[in-house]
Amino acid sequence: MSVLQGSGAGRSEDGFRLGAPALRARPNAARRPVANGGVLTGLYVVVFAVVAFLALVPLAALVVGSLRDTSPGLPGQWTLANWANLVSPGVIDTLLTTLVVAGLSTIFAMIIGTALALVIHRTDFRWPNAMTGMLALSFYFPSFILAMAWIVIGSPGGVINDVLREFLGIESVSVDIYSTWGIIFVMVLHQVPFVYLTIRGPIMGMDPSYEEAARTAGASPWCMLRRVTLPMLAYALASSALLCLVLTLEQFGIPVLIGVPGHVTVLATQIYLLCRFPPTAYGLAAAIGLTLAVITSVAILLQRRLARGERSVTTTGKAGKITPIPLGVWRWPVNLFCGFYVAVSLILPGLILLYTSLIKFFTANPFDAVFTFRNYLYIWNSEETQRAIINTIIVSGGGALVGVLLGVACSYYVVRLRPTGYRLLDALVMLPFGVPGIVLGLGLLWAYAYLPLPLYGTLTLIVLAYVTRFLPYAAETSGARFVQLDRSLEEAAWTAGASRLAGVWRILMPLSLPSLQSSYFLLFMAFFREISATILIFTASTSVLSVSIWSAFEQANWGLASALSILAMVLMVAMMSLLLWAMPGARRR
Amino acid sequence: MGISVKNLVKSFGSLTVIHSISFDVADGEFVTLLGPSGCGKTTTLRCIAGLDTPSSGTIAINGEMVSDPANDLFVPPHERDLGMVFQSYAVWPHLTVEENVAFPLTIKGERDVAAGVAWALDIVGMGKLAKRRPSELSGGQQQRVALARAIAARPQLLLFDEPLSNLDARLRDRTRLEISRIQRELKVPALYVTHDQTEALSMSDRIIVMEAGRIVQEGDPRALYQQPVNRFVADFIGGANFLHVQRVGQKWQLENGLPLEVDPATDRDDGRSKIALLRPEAIRLDATSASEAAGQNRLTGRVVGGMYLGPHVEYIVEVGADRLRAYSRTALAPGSPAVLTFDARDCRLVDDTPQTEARSLHA
Repeated sequence: MSVLQGSGAGRSEDGFRLGAPALRARPNAARRPVANGGVLTGLYVVVFAVVAFLALVPLAALVVGSLRDTSPGLPGQWTLANWANLVSPGVIDTLLTTLVVAGLSTIFAMIIGTALALVIHRTDFRWPNAMTGMLALSFYFPSFILAMAWIVIGSPGGVINDVLREFLGIESVSVDIYSTWGIIFVMVLHQVPFVYLTIRGPIMGMDPSYEEAARTAGASPWCMLRRVTLPMLAYALASSALLCLVLTLEQFGIPVLIGVPGHVTVLATQIYLLCRFPPTAYGLAAAIGLTLAVITSVAILLQRRLARGERSVTTTGKAGKITPIPLGVWRWPVNLFCGFYVAVSLILPGLILLYTSLIKFFTANPFDAVFTFRNYLYIWNSEETQRAIINTIIVSGGGALVGVLLGVACSYYVVRLRPTGYRLLDALVMLPFGVPGIVLGLGLLWAYAYLPLPLYGTLTLIVLAYVTRFLPYAAETSGARFVQLDRSLEEAAWTAGASRLAGVWRILMPLSLPSLQSSYFLLFMAFFREISATILIFTASTSVLSVSIWSAFEQANWGLASALSILAMVLMVAMMSLLLWAMPGARRR
Repeated sequence: MGISVKNLVKSFGSLTVIHSISFDVADGEFVTLLGPSGCGKTTTLRCIAGLDTPSSGTIAINGEMVSDPANDLFVPPHERDLGMVFQSYAVWPHLTVEENVAFPLTIKGERDVAAGVAWALDIVGMGKLAKRRPSELSGGQQQRVALARAIAARPQLLLFDEPLSNLDARLRDRTRLEISRIQRELKVPALYVTHDQTEALSMSDRIIVMEAGRIVQEGDPRALYQQPVNRFVADFIGGANFLHVQRVGQKWQLENGLPLEVDPATDRDDGRSKIALLRPEAIRLDATSASEAAGQNRLTGRVVGGMYLGPHVEYIVEVGADRLRAYSRTALAPGSPAVLTFDARDCRLVDDTPQTEARSLHA
């Protein structure tokens, strides 16, 4: 997940000035590729316009919306009441809850994720590869499906309480997932793989001689870990924590499924509630959305500053073999902990969903259950669901391609050509990074109520939302690769007679292919499970799989929701395997 | 024909790195731009290649104008018909040796690509490794591939950007000879950028010394070594000792008042501040005084230290306030007195320029 760290600046040479000296035709130039300064300039204008449109329209619409006293598209008055209402006790309460939930989830996820990374990469833990694989799988486990599974397990009528009452006869103790702690618990489960994946790179890339120096200076393994390894990872840990905080602040699926029944509201869910349930207050939702976006943007700016510092400190990139720290008596506690994590974050939720999808009426006791395939048969026969599946594949497959191409174009201008205004382009590309999905969705809702573009109710709007949301990731992945590739590789092509476009096509693209593939993979998977940006803008004909699962669960149809989740995960694993087989470059992490 | 650069200026924003320089490279001539890092030599080369856009001035290649900002004229690099070897080699890692060399041929639509590749690889002696990937090659071999690629399409101009700086010393010597040979065989003008005086002296027909974006002196290697115009050039090319001198009447003397005979050809009173240049190999260093001949200088000093180098010992000798380097085969203990003898003709007056980073770089 190194893509999340800031894209560095390339060398600052202006090998390229847009619109500067005119290109002149030479008598013998006819057989050569057409000089393409004009093409590149034209493309720059287009890319700039598209990115500005994608990034600014939703935000501008939110600003307008926050100053209106009605719903999008209706006649109304200008007002400041929405901003004044931000300081009402209700909103302040929600803000505090949001900060507490996100803060605690981040702290726990950081501790567990870092511990797992150290166990896997620094000790003689027996199954490092299996554990990494499990964590990668659970990284792709959609948050709202995880929340659903844990509701089935931990709600008042769920598995745990059933077991406590029916099998053990205990009435005095009961578990309620519909609580602040329930939200935090599931969020931690969901964020741990993210922390692990961001910390893993710095740990593996650390020059072993630092640790060896500590050992030869007389430090015991644990002392070395405490006094050398962790301090050297400080930047990476802080930067991972900030990103984790951003993700938990904007997390939507978990708090909406668990928090709404439990009356625990965070900013992201409050936006949803204000738009979905009467009396609606779209204007207040817009003001809250902008506030949330400001908070996450500040965290991201801090993170980018840290990421810049990080590069100057730790790693050399040459990973070495380090003598693993023996776990000794800790071996079994550590093994149990790893097994427990995999069980509660991956295996148990998966099995529960499978079980729930196959029974007629919910009961925790499989011997009482009436098994049935009716949920799967329903999916098989439901045109609506099939359309959702097809929509999902179109949006993920095609949308990810659009996203990668736009990301490549942006980073080529920002990192390589650096024409007038490239800094602004870079800022625009990164802007959506700080905009939570639900806020982006709300922005688009406001925007397309006024813009004379026939996009509302089309799949294009969904693709637009996803591409906007994940453009920073796409641009950073390709940008990071372009920075690595020496400029002279392209210059050599030009001096050998290749035009700029030919240089890009024949040299830069082939050399960046693995990065582009992994960027496509990342976007595909993200689009496949995205729900927060969709939930406010989908219509019956543009529903996607994640929304179908959601609606089934909202209608208390656990069986159908579980069956759809199982289907979604089977599809995801199938797609994952297909993509990894077709694009070996995506495997590289 | 060849290259013609007139009043070339290059600025990056408010920072001007090339201050209106002009020079020519004749057809078939091998010219080197020599100077310390940051002197503008690479930027000059990149302007000629079309990789950087000049701020003003003109560049013509074989009589054809390729850059003239005043008239909005800029021919992009791919239409300049040149071959360039980069400091980093820039051999494309995703292509084989053969495919790397074939690139300029296919892109220019040559008919017999295979023959062109074979010819180029043969010249650099890499024919046997044609199917290899760059990652399977040593630095020297990658360098040869870069060279083969640069010449494959028989360009009308060869450009070299410090091509040897990443090679080890022995390989550098061999490749130097090879580049010279290939350039003479192809009979195309070549412009070579380096900060290494040995490369410049051994390969070039002509050397252009640059400092801080300006040309300081140009000439053939011998002239530059023997008749440097100022302290910077003298110091940058070859080992150099400098004696602080002052004019007293018609004579020159050292700071401690001792008289010094200098090369009369350089004894011009042009009002500029002068310093005496004395190459270490021109000094005879003895423990005791030998007989003095006419036109010879004799100075006494004190040995500060010595380094045994094999053929001779390099001594540092203190003469007045100056420290000189001199060679001798006699053993001299540190602290012992020494006598330095040298011809007046070997003691040249040069303009005393402010010291730049060149000195530390060169030392």
